This record gives sequence, structure tokens and C-alpha cells, in this order.
Amino acid sequence: MKKTFQTKVFNFLQKNGIENFIGVPDSTLKEFISHGLRKEKIIVTTREEEAIGIASGMCLSKSNSLVFMQNAGFANSLSTITSLVKLYKIPMIFLIGWRGYLKDDAPEHTMIGKIQPKLLKTIELPSKILSENNWEKNCKWALKKIKNESPCALIVKREFHD
Amino acid sequence: MIRKEAMKAVLEEIDSSPVISANGFMSRDLFELKEKNSNFYMIGSMGLASSIGLGVALKNPKKRIFVFDGDGNILMNLGSLVTIGYLQPKNLVHIIFDNNSHESTGGQPTSASKIDISKFGNICNYKIFVIKDKNSLKNCLKKIKKINQSIMIVIKISTSKERSTRISIEPGIIKKRFMESMNRSK
Repeated sequence: MKKTFQTKVFNFLQKNGIENFIGVPDSTLKEFISHGLRKEKIIVTTREEEAIGIASGMCLSKSNSLVFMQNAGFANSLSTITSLVKLYKIPMIFLIGWRGYLKDDAPEHTMIGKIQPKLLKTIELPSKILSENNWEKNCKWALKKIKNESPCALIVKREFHD
Repeated sequence: MIRKEAMKAVLEEIDSSPVISANGFMSRDLFELKEKNSNFYMIGSMGLASSIGLGVALKNPKKRIFVFDGDGNILMNLGSLVTIGYLQPKNLVHIIFDNNSHESTGGQPTSASKIDISKFGNICNYKIFVIKDKNSLKNCLKKIKKINQSIMIVIKISTSKERSTRISIEPGIIKKRFMESMNRSK
């Protein structure tokens, strides 16, 4: 994903009512997060569940949030998503960096990368994969979802090695 | 004091302030003692009351937000103390009812008997109070009205066999009425 692309996603969501960007840093999402930090709009938490908790509290105050994380952190968050986000129908956008998308990514990402699409389906979290060509359409989809009180996820594939 | 007595004493001092209560017996006691729209009864997501409370506090700087936490609950999310300490919301009152045990799951011990939770609060920029009896609790609750800082009150309580009723409100309704109550009194 190109630099300008993640920056555009941030600006677009901010312009369209997302007020809070909370999460745990991920190298796949580096440009998105760095841009948010420059704008002083990012809250970095110690764990992903914590970020979801804070975003829930903000939603209870009618302020919309995006929670960013790596897919390893998404796996950490499953119980919080089922017993808080889904149980109370708390809308928020998850932005998830997909490590292990490439088969030759680092070994710790292989298994979780492989089951990532199935995990999303199993916990019934609707999702779209962002690309250079579809990001605006899919961001609009996500904004519409949360307007209808449905949490959802936007996925960014890790298509490079460092 | 048992939790319910301590909670009753707290509720007498905090009027209609919003409360985020931890899952298990904490929320059940609150439900039985003082049911109101601005109570957010956490049912699942153990450990997250402090994080939800932080989110509410940051978005409502003119209101005092109370978190009713347990020692088992906060020990699952010590990281939230770090984030609270970093952001320093001045309107967050974090009350930890500490009975050194996971009472809701059958009274198994937590590590709080040998680890002083208030010391975590201290390094995380909270104003700290450690309370052992009802009189000092009442005094403390009066005193904090003038303090403009994140506050942690650790209340040492004993375990109890008394059981409050389950929360009979559907989670979607708990959310909805909490949101409405926050809006109305803005």
C-alpha cells in the first residue's frame, strides 16, 4: 500500500465523522498511524482490548471511533468483540493489518495469517479488503455500517517485507 | 465492610453521576442498590471497565465519571492504568473494591493480597486513597469533590456470601439508555 493511500484513508474517515483513532501500532499500517500522530489524533494503548474498551466508552458518548491493530492483536480481541462490541451492538471500525498474507512472511504470522479471513467470518464481523482502487468505496461502506450500529472491519494486506 | 455496604456508602455521595461497573457481582450489586439509566452494567469483557470509563471520561470532561472495579478485574488490565496515567483525565474516579479474590467465580484468590494495587495508581499519576472503614470512605468521597485529577480509591472489603440478583436488562437497552442519559445532561 502506497504512502499517499493510507494518508487518504485517514483524512477521508476523519472528514466523515470518525473522531477517535485508537489502537496498537502495526508496521503494515505505519503510514496511517504516523499521519494520525502528526495530526495529534492517535491514542496508543497497551493492548488491543483496551483500545476497544476506550472506543466503546467514546461511542457511548456518541463519538465515533476507529480501532487499529495487527491481525495478531485481532486474535487477542476475540472475546472483547463477542462479549462487548457485538453483545451491546457498539459500532466501531476495525482497521486490521494482515500479516501472514504473503506465504513467506515471518513464521510467527503464518498460522494466524492463514485463518484471518475465517476468524472474521466466524465472529460475524463484516469486512472488506482495502486496495488502491477501492479504498474510498470501502470506507463509505464502513461508515454506512457504523451508522446502522454495526461494527465492521477494513483489512490492509501486508504485501511487502522489511 | 462487604462490597455491597461499601458501594451503598459510595452511591449515597455521588448523586446521579454516571457509573461504569465491572462484570460479575459488581454490576449485580449496583443493579440492586441503585438502578438508573446512567449505569453502564458491563456484563462480559472482564477487565475493561476502566478502559470504557476512560473513553466516557475523555468525551465528557464536564462530568465526573465513576468506575466501579474489582481487584480481579483491574489486574486483568493493568495496562489501562498506564493509558489513564498518560492521558490524565481530571474527571475520572476509579474505585477498586478489593477483596483479594475473584468472588464472582467462586472466591479464588487474586494476587492482590501481596501486591498493593494503589502503588500502581501512584506511578500512573492518580491521586490515591486507600480506605478500610465506612467513616473514612464517607470523608474521602466528600474530599474528592474538590480534587481536579484522576482519582483512585482502593476500598478494602471482605468477601460475602450475599448474592444480588442478575441484571434483567438487555445489553442493547443498557447501551441505549446510557447514551441518552449522557446526552440529556450535557
